[in-house]
Amino acid sequence: MAAAIIRGAGLERYYVERSEFAPRPVADARLDWSAVSVTTTPDGQCEAKLVVDGLRCASCVWVTERVLERTPGVARATVSYATGRTALRWNPAQTDLPALARRIAALGYHPRPLGEERAPDRGLMRRMGVAAIATLAIMGLYEGLYAGWWYGAIDPRYAALFRWTSLVLATPVTFWCAEPFFTGAWNALRHRVLHMDLPIALGVAILYVHGLVETLRGVDSYLDSLAMLVALLLVGRVLESRSRRRATEAASALVGTVPHIARRLRDGHIERVPVSELRPGDQIDVGAGEELAADGRVVEGSGQVRMALITGEAAPVLVGPGEAVVAGTLLADGAITVLVEATGQETVVHRMAAELLAAQDRGMAPTSADRIAPWFTAATLVVAVATFLGWWLTRGTDIAVARTVAVLVVACPCALALSQPLAAAAGLGAAARRGLLLRSADALLRLAQIDEAGLDKTGTVTAGALTVTHADDATLRIAAGLERYSTHPIANAITAEASRRGIPLPQASEVRETAGHGIAGVVDGVRWELVSGEAGAVRVRAPHGESAAGAGLIRLGDVIRPDARTAVAALRGLGIHATLLTGDHESVANAIAREAGIDAVAARVDPATKAAWIRDRQAEGRVVLFAGDGLNDGPALASADVGIAMASGAASSVLVADGILATQSIAPIVAGIRAARAAQRMVHRSQLQSIAYNVVSVGAAAAGLVNPLVAAVLMPVSSAVVIWNAARVERLVRKDD
Amino acid sequence: MQGILILLPAVLIIGAVFAWLFLAAVKDGQFDDLDDPPTRMLQDDE
Repeated sequence: MAAAIIRGAGLERYYVERSEFAPRPVADARLDWSAVSVTTTPDGQCEAKLVVDGLRCASCVWVTERVLERTPGVARATVSYATGRTALRWNPAQTDLPALARRIAALGYHPRPLGEERAPDRGLMRRMGVAAIATLAIMGLYEGLYAGWWYGAIDPRYAALFRWTSLVLATPVTFWCAEPFFTGAWNALRHRVLHMDLPIALGVAILYVHGLVETLRGVDSYLDSLAMLVALLLVGRVLESRSRRRATEAASALVGTVPHIARRLRDGHIERVPVSELRPGDQIDVGAGEELAADGRVVEGSGQVRMALITGEAAPVLVGPGEAVVAGTLLADGAITVLVEATGQETVVHRMAAELLAAQDRGMAPTSADRIAPWFTAATLVVAVATFLGWWLTRGTDIAVARTVAVLVVACPCALALSQPLAAAAGLGAAARRGLLLRSADALLRLAQIDEAGLDKTGTVTAGALTVTHADDATLRIAAGLERYSTHPIANAITAEASRRGIPLPQASEVRETAGHGIAGVVDGVRWELVSGEAGAVRVRAPHGESAAGAGLIRLGDVIRPDARTAVAALRGLGIHATLLTGDHESVANAIAREAGIDAVAARVDPATKAAWIRDRQAEGRVVLFAGDGLNDGPALASADVGIAMASGAASSVLVADGILATQSIAPIVAGIRAARAAQRMVHRSQLQSIAYNVVSVGAAAAGLVNPLVAAVLMPVSSAVVIWNAARVERLVRKDD
Repeated sequence: MQGILILLPAVLIIGAVFAWLFLAAVKDGQFDDLDDPPTRMLQDDE
């Protein structure tokens, strides 16, 4: 029987044929690996990074890592599922980079040096479309054949026509559409790693050979089950590969905020030069509204710099001579001359981008289906062999072959292979309808495990914009008059509050704005001045001591989102411990935390510390969620088991996150976790049920109790149960809404 | 029942036409990026 399986799979011939036109070996020969930068570690090992394309599923990543790690001389290999980036460390005495690249290529994936353009992978999409159309036709035809079991067999000539048409349609589905599963299973097998592709490939091959033989004999087979299985699995793969695509764009978006041209001071006049020509020691001029081109120190002038890129805090910071500024931040107003200290790769943003990529390059755990797969395959084969031997010894070859074929056919892992993709898709849908858009099934299943949540303060727990928290109407009126033409965030907050209170804006004249100091002008014939007061407040005063009606303090602050408190309480109800993370002062952080009902606070943390905080929690064995919105949250979002960004947040945080909050609130996180847990429960239930189905049906088939009609009903029923479980996810979540 | 002898090939041909249309659309790059085009109208011109 084992011979029949191999013959059935037709693998040898298939792969001999395939290698003749496979473009891979040629493509790899053209790649120039000598240009890849290889670094040598102190202990004499080499390190390099490359990109692997064509990783179709989590299992591919897992297999690639295992195979590389088993290669002699390789000390470490991590492959990023999100980006395909692969970090290798090896002993130069035993192997080299081209050899490792060939090894990856031999697995069926496409290694390339970092930075080379990748061609869009359209293969899965094509296969899915063809499989779906063929499945529709085959299922329609087989519907007619099955109906014959109840209403009396149809005319044998039509039955033969239906079977042969189905066989013709199922042939490309098996040999072309299901090719990724055969390739995956074969490559894994060759390197002695087993994952879910193997039972799938085996099932497809057995169903096809069975279909071929039965069609020749003029009997119904299960080609409809075969086509449906392949089509649904391909839909799952397409959805997953799609959701991963954007992650690769994150780093370039981050670095994209640094301008390309700088105005350099040389011998008393200004020249415009490309940023790449800047050297430490140069001086550059930066005007209001410009982004800084390099890291450095202010030597002249002053201005307000929006540091949101680095600190995540919206309010601009006043900088003067001697103070440090970083590339990519925006000079909101004022004008400064900067002594360049670091450019290009050395700048803070570039290092952040590098850290962001490094954080994405994390290892991959096999899915629960992958862990089950080897046992599933082994058990099926053992039972098949036992069945054959048992019946062969007692009843002869004919019956032994028939019963063994029955065992192999009903052991098709349709239901098992579908349990995870379907329930996960339902969970993703349930989360999306509640405002949390998750990138992958993988992220959803990790979200179900979360027990620790780090919440960024500004823009996540709070609204992320300055709001007037305390002011007299009279003071506010004067201030709004002065600020009405300004675009400063404080001005926006003041004018917005004035219009909310219905205060008409007075006309101001002789308005003069001084960068970093304040604004002055004449309102109602009195000269007023608005200057920064104590922390979190601005003062309105009359500098010449005229009548003080209207003088006073306006307090500004960032207020928490209206639903933050209930969301935090709901997180606690789910057994998740929340911590507020912020670059802000302890006092502000504690006030916000109290208001939101969060009991743990980590204040004054910079981007790197946020990521470190997450890694510390992970080292304690916690599964960590991080929600943030700033460009600076990138490393933390990537380090977290699940990173969630606000849709309104910085582009790079949106790109790097596993999930995106579509609404201006954090409540969807709670709903998303509920959806993830419901999906996780249903995945487990489906897996248990499909294994139970296989145990029962394989047992029955081995005993000779399964006739074709029973099998024709049982197989779709097992898949239907899995689909039913997936459909229950939405109802489970709705119950908790 | 003879109708099936005409209907079946006709349906298969129609199916093949749609399969061909789908493959042509994939080749054309229609499915390469389903995320960005809806937001393209909101982006500033470079």
